[in-house]
Amino acid sequence: MRRFAGLLLFAAVAAVLTGDPRLAAGAAVVALASAWFLDPPAVRAALRVGVALAFLFAAAVTAAVVAWAVGPGRGLEVGGMVLLRLLVLTVAAAVLVRAVDAESLLRATERVGMERLGLVLGLSLNALPRIAEASGEVWAAHSLRGRGLIDRLGRLPGLGEVLLAHTARIAEEAAAAASLRGHSALTWPHAPLSVAVRTVVVTGPPDGGKSVAVSCLAARLDEGGVPVAGFVQLGNREGGRKMGFRIRDLRTGEEAVLAEKVEREKGEFGTRFRFDEAGFRLGRTALARCESGCVVIVDEVGPVELRGAGHMPAIRRALAVPGITGVVMVVRRALVPSLLAALDASDAVVVDVGEAGDAAAATIAEALAIKR
Amino acid sequence: MRDARAWTYAALFGALWGALEATVGTAVYLGKMPLRGTVMGVLGLLCLVCLRRLQPRPGVCLLAGVVAIFLKVFTLGGFFPGPLIGIAVEAIAVEVAMTATGGRAIGAAIGGAVALATNPLQKLGMMWLVAGSEAVESYLKVGEDVAAAVGLGGIRPLAVFAVVVAATALVGAAGGLWAWRVAGRVARRMGARP
Repeated sequence: MRRFAGLLLFAAVAAVLTGDPRLAAGAAVVALASAWFLDPPAVRAALRVGVALAFLFAAAVTAAVVAWAVGPGRGLEVGGMVLLRLLVLTVAAAVLVRAVDAESLLRATERVGMERLGLVLGLSLNALPRIAEASGEVWAAHSLRGRGLIDRLGRLPGLGEVLLAHTARIAEEAAAAASLRGHSALTWPHAPLSVAVRTVVVTGPPDGGKSVAVSCLAARLDEGGVPVAGFVQLGNREGGRKMGFRIRDLRTGEEAVLAEKVEREKGEFGTRFRFDEAGFRLGRTALARCESGCVVIVDEVGPVELRGAGHMPAIRRALAVPGITGVVMVVRRALVPSLLAALDASDAVVVDVGEAGDAAAATIAEALAIKR
Repeated sequence: MRDARAWTYAALFGALWGALEATVGTAVYLGKMPLRGTVMGVLGLLCLVCLRRLQPRPGVCLLAGVVAIFLKVFTLGGFFPGPLIGIAVEAIAVEVAMTATGGRAIGAAIGGAVALATNPLQKLGMMWLVAGSEAVESYLKVGEDVAAAVGLGGIRPLAVFAVVVAATALVGAAGGLWAWRVAGRVARRMGARP
């Protein structure tokens, strides 16, 4: 019976949009009766006094305009049609919205095989409190920093920028969380970073000794007769501040400038650094030394690489070399989930140098589990 | 690489857009603020262009539009057809323009122009749907009569409407370019290639 009433309501909506006034009047009666049968509170909510008055006003204005242009009789007819159409469309919309809730819509997306859409809609609902929280914080900062109305208005674009960046960060975290939990429904089926051997992901706090640890590891492996191919990126400091990076080939010790700090607007790859092609070239050369029996060491895999640029093509080529015995990748803590999501490795271990301390190199070597 | 970010970005930017529509949009709609469609259109452009610049994958703007409509309907915003159609048209316009231009600034400008220019067209369309073509013609005739009565007999309502559409398109193009600039700064903050 309810399904029949729903069909009647749908048919009435179609009928009221035709040009025949008598058919429209009949359709309006049917629509109101069907809607009342389906959901009386929805009809009451849709036809509040204010709404009804607004409809009457719109119909009256249209009637007057058409009466002026064509004639009074036609004006009344068209005004009446406007009133009927507004009534029927509003009532039908109110019934429809109350009949469909978010949960049922999510279930429906799953039923019709659009699971990803359902997940995205669910994520958007779950993320609303975080967006609201971020908006509140951004607004509070904006209010505190602004001096007077003019200053606050001038800062509005900055407010939007910060809010958008917050939103992007929440999206990054959501993707990372999905990767950490092994959720793959939202992932793009692109070629993963395939590694067939034990992979050690080295992480830790900024300036926490990651590069020192993998340099020590390289020396230790070299002493043990295990060939190493790869590089470390070392910070160039002036007065305790990081002013750039240089890259060092772990086998030859050769160094090249990789990046120099510049003004924010002049930075590349979305960083405050300008990159030097010589550094990337040395990275490619160092990784090209990879051969059977090698341990590949990459310090570091950054956001640029995780987007497929920077050193990533050279890393892919090195990892495709048959017979490599292990892979060590350095990554900052925030990017560990993204790297793990990108890796197609059956055997991966994460070593945090912040926890391993002075024994970091030994811990990484142990994690590599190379038997000679 | 397996990367869920395009989906999560679309979800989050769509959520932000939907939240703005449901809160700011509902407030300006109920408050009858002038140029509310243009204001909300520029806010939507900001979300869409930034999303497309951070995640340059075809379809993300459409998905964000679906999310924004979903949130607008099922949260505070309610079922007002005008804004919902506006959101859908804006998402489609930006998506098509950005895809056709390879995700460049010109795409943001074209998308913004088309998205905002459809605001007055959408109002005309709704009037046509609810009141019929005869009423639309009557409005035009009354407009001509009123213009003639105040000494502006040479001005045709359709020409005025075309000027309004063109002006809105210009505002949209400027809004699109501004959104592109802001998106670049957001991309730099996020460490993405600007």
